[in-house]
Amino acid sequence: MDGEGFTEEVIKLAGEEIRTCIQCGTCSSSCSTAHLMDNSIRKLIRLVLEGRKREALASESIWLCTSCLLCTVRCPRGIRPKAVVSALRNICEREGISSRDASFERVFMDQIRSRGRVSEVLLSAAYALRNPDAAVPIMEMGIELLSRGKVSLDPGMVKGMDEIQRIFREFENE
Amino acid sequence: MRIGVYICHCGLNIAATLDVEELRRFAETLPNVVVARDIQFTCSDAGQNTIKSDIAELKLDAVVVAACSPRLHEPTFRRTITEAGLNQYMLEMANIREQCSWVHMDSPALATQKAKDLIAMAVAKASLLRPLETESVPVSRDVLVIGGGVAGISAALDLANAGLRVYLVERRPTIGGYMALLTDVFPTNDCSICVLAPKMAEVYANPMIKLMTYSEILAIEGTVGHFRVTGVTKPRYVDPTLCKGCINECSSACPVEVPNEYDFGLGKRKAIYMAIPQSVPLVACIDTNACIGCGLCAEACPADAVKYDQQAEEFKLDVGAIVVATGWQPFDASRKEEYGFGRYRDVVTTLQIERMLNAAGPTRGDIVRPSTGEIVRSVAFIQCVGSRDQTVGNPYCSRICCMASLKNAQLIKERYPDADVSIHYIDIRAGGEGYEEFYLRAQRLGINFIRGRVSSVEEGEDGLYVHYEDTLLGKTLMKRYDLVVLSTGLEANSDADVVGNLLGLSRRPDRFFEIAHPKMRPVEAHIDGVFIAGCASGPKEIQVSIAQGSAAASKAMQLLFKGEIELDPTVAFVDRDKCIGCRLCVDTCPSRAISVKDTAFVDEARCKGCGTCAAACPVDAIEMRLFSDEQILAQIRAATTVKGEYPFILGFLCNWCSYAGADLAGTSRIQYPTNIRIIRVMCAGRVDPSFVLEALRRGADGVLIAGCRIGECHYVSGNLHALQRVEVLRGLLKEIGIDPRRLKVAWCAASEGDILARRIEEFVEELKDLGPVGTELAAALPSGKV
Repeated sequence: MDGEGFTEEVIKLAGEEIRTCIQCGTCSSSCSTAHLMDNSIRKLIRLVLEGRKREALASESIWLCTSCLLCTVRCPRGIRPKAVVSALRNICEREGISSRDASFERVFMDQIRSRGRVSEVLLSAAYALRNPDAAVPIMEMGIELLSRGKVSLDPGMVKGMDEIQRIFREFENE
Repeated sequence: MRIGVYICHCGLNIAATLDVEELRRFAETLPNVVVARDIQFTCSDAGQNTIKSDIAELKLDAVVVAACSPRLHEPTFRRTITEAGLNQYMLEMANIREQCSWVHMDSPALATQKAKDLIAMAVAKASLLRPLETESVPVSRDVLVIGGGVAGISAALDLANAGLRVYLVERRPTIGGYMALLTDVFPTNDCSICVLAPKMAEVYANPMIKLMTYSEILAIEGTVGHFRVTGVTKPRYVDPTLCKGCINECSSACPVEVPNEYDFGLGKRKAIYMAIPQSVPLVACIDTNACIGCGLCAEACPADAVKYDQQAEEFKLDVGAIVVATGWQPFDASRKEEYGFGRYRDVVTTLQIERMLNAAGPTRGDIVRPSTGEIVRSVAFIQCVGSRDQTVGNPYCSRICCMASLKNAQLIKERYPDADVSIHYIDIRAGGEGYEEFYLRAQRLGINFIRGRVSSVEEGEDGLYVHYEDTLLGKTLMKRYDLVVLSTGLEANSDADVVGNLLGLSRRPDRFFEIAHPKMRPVEAHIDGVFIAGCASGPKEIQVSIAQGSAAASKAMQLLFKGEIELDPTVAFVDRDKCIGCRLCVDTCPSRAISVKDTAFVDEARCKGCGTCAAACPVDAIEMRLFSDEQILAQIRAATTVKGEYPFILGFLCNWCSYAGADLAGTSRIQYPTNIRIIRVMCAGRVDPSFVLEALRRGADGVLIAGCRIGECHYVSGNLHALQRVEVLRGLLKEIGIDPRRLKVAWCAASEGDILARRIEEFVEELKDLGPVGTELAAALPSGKV
């Protein structure tokens, strides 16, 4: 079976409460990006409990969560749906399951690693390079934003880059 | 002391595994034993007659029966020896069936050795038994019922009709409770007040019931049979003997209007008012918080009933039993901020819609949008508001809200067939006679059922927008309604805290009063003579509250009809010479049976005999009459005289759960090692540290303390005290060089014989790894010698 140990792993990462889900949908209907999702967060939890690993990890919804935590605040069972999303992201990353939006996260983290912050210009450029079909709309929006002075061409860098590097090193050593 | 020992074959149940003949020969050698016999079936008439004739001819002082569990036949043999002239407490049983022959079927030799120990232990205890007298005390046959809702009314009427005098105390100016405010009630849709009002009138008319409304309890002292109750009747500023209940004369003269709490804020009432037209008693009441003292009502009253100088009146009662029917309170819907109650006028609660639907309510039965007064065209019911919700600390189901919303939705749909009526639900719980059919009727009427919990309600320009996921479609949606009804849950009544504290009632984690057993004793409190009925012990529908009122009444009757009660003598008593008045026992007693004036005193009518106090007493001043330190220490010494096995374990098992669990392991033939000798105590909390130390000192390799699962103690908190004591003891063992792992605890229910058996197995293995007791001491010494 493709989901051997999958349920248990997500539970270990995101909490025992997941087993008590009553599928009420409070999480999905509280979710600000639910209308963009293929599987609602409620359904993701069901897929996890059913051990349907392939379906769960293939879901684009994982990458649409904005971590606003409204689901987690409102869940009547004390489940942390946001933690489920994070767990699924981690498993995707480990197993090299690629998706367009996951690649966005990688570009995002690369920027943090090298400059300690995100520059809109560099981020858009790096993302467009990896996803050529997204390049044209990004460029169009970029020109619009630049013309209104909403983005700066100076990428900038944070103070204390050695601290940032240390955080990354410690994380990778774990 | 002359003791007779009777070893039962139980057909082959015992004799197939144990060498009964050898057990008999062994018993004959024990001190104080004058006769030992083996009998085919000891519980048969022939078997019992043998015991009786021996008592007479051999002048026996005490009897030991080695047979099945005392939980099965102790009452039988107590009767037997009583019939032969002995005191019923001069009996001790050795459990050689459930806890020996049935669980060690593959090891007859070791099982026989264990049975010998069990018999020796029983004889050792029997040698120290004393006759105990059962005392009867006269009781008051009057009953106090606290709370005049439908449960309290039901209890009061049943008691009064059986001939007992009842004092019915109600906080509000009228009896009737929440039921009096509802519109029609499910599943029959008959008018609530129409079925309740005759009962309320009956209470008023019954000469055996003294009705005390607008009254509160201030103090309760004493115990079962004699509770001394003090209360106060608040002044209504209206003379009940003069008031004719016409109410319009005075209230229309009154210039003050305040929100009507009996309409849950929807309507208004005057400062002089009557809660409902059917109030019992039919007497007006002045709300002093609202009254401006203008005197217009007094002028208007044609009967001169308004009395501004009325005083609060204290009353004192002496009652034999108390029925607590203090009811519930509605969940405060404004706590669920995302639903907008209190901010949006068109968001209402179940109780408000009940009042709107009520022909005598603030809208005379019209369902309107409070913001505009227009008749509604669309209504949403949102279920589970304040129920099944850990974010507000109420994980439980309130049990009645599904049915209440089904009913209210039907009433609205019947009045306004074109209205869009939807119920947003997680699960529909319609379990009850006629309830599923009621659900079916609602579906047929065209009510929409939308599965998915609503996440939020927003107010727009043209109405309320409800956000939810239709979980059956898998779509997140938003829908507009004129009116939103929050199906608010039931909470424990915080106004009942005073009564709960005065009586020492315990509460469940859901804050409702706890009953003595969650299944088998549904209306009994942990305190003798106190009964709980209706929603005071959790959310209930009207039908169940009425049944519980009757059940509580019947329990009170059983208790009081004879006019006297027998006190169980197997309780604690204090040696006043030893007591130092430290109050440790007061804090451990779950029954509040101990008080201290210089020295401790046990109220024997309250004590339930758990023995936790005896174990806690630092100077051994408290003793149990049937499980004394002396008797238990004698059992420990008898068990360890011959250490016939390694590892050797002494077990202290509580009577209600773990000892019963061990019996169940026997009846289920679950096999476990023979290494344990079990001593029965009433509660794990009885286990005195000295028992553990004595067992280890005498060579036991391990000690097991087993009790009810945490949270399920028969005496509420005995096992918690046991656990605390074990923690301290383990520290002590470590200090004196004994491995603390030699003291093990196990918590199991009476139904968990398999778990207990597994714990014993595990413990045997752990002790094998540790080696015999004392090896750790030897290892600690450089010379290698103890």
